[in-house]
Amino acid sequence: MALVKKKLVVKNKQGLHARPAALFVQVANKFESQITVRRDNEKVNGKSILGILMLGAESGSIIIIEADGNDAQLAVEELEKLINSEE
Amino acid sequence: MKIMEFLSSKAIIMDIKSSKKEDVMRELVDALINSSDIDKRSRNKIVDSLIARESLGSTAIGQGVAIPHTKCDCVQNLVAAFGLSKKGIDFDSLDGEPVNIFFLLIAPQDSAGPHLKALARISRLLKDKYFRDGLQECENEDAVIRIISQEDDKKI
Repeated sequence: MALVKKKLVVKNKQGLHARPAALFVQVANKFESQITVRRDNEKVNGKSILGILMLGAESGSIIIIEADGNDAQLAVEELEKLINSEE
Repeated sequence: MKIMEFLSSKAIIMDIKSSKKEDVMRELVDALINSSDIDKRSRNKIVDSLIARESLGSTAIGQGVAIPHTKCDCVQNLVAAFGLSKKGIDFDSLDGEPVNIFFLLIAPQDSAGPHLKALARISRLLKDKYFRDGLQECENEDAVIRIISQEDDKKI
């Protein structure tokens, strides 16, 4: 078991709007690890699209992805790619 | 941001008649035409762009909720219509469940901020099962407005 944390800046110009949020959740759900995303004082389940949308993370905002479980490292790496994408 | 700041109180449909995805969006757009929030000349353009958006991935985000949305230069501010469906509508939802609750959003062309804030706001409320159940139990438009306003006042 491992706990992996990563602080990231949202690159998507529109922020984490519906489409990237859906993609994020889709990728997060491929992993066994528990995934949470934090922004400021808000902490949400990274496998729930309502959760991700709730963050209202605009372009340039800082989020922290946290994965807890056997595949935590890989999960964070994959999700990081998404957050770093400008599309 | 409060939902009642952009949800048109005259664009609330208590029981959606359409049963096909595209027709449901058309019905919600028509509600915004009837409420004078958008001009009927923009109808086809808006419906086409809503359909195009859906083709990129369904906005039915699960738990019986869909938030179809698009941008249009025909609006100055964010506007929204609300609709309920008692029977539930197949909207290609991410969890495969039919959709009972619809928020349709139309944002001005050049904006990213308000659109995202509105999605965040709506998501926050709809995450609450009691709120979702409460909406579905509403019997008229006034009840919908009352329940949304109550939540608007509670959380910022």
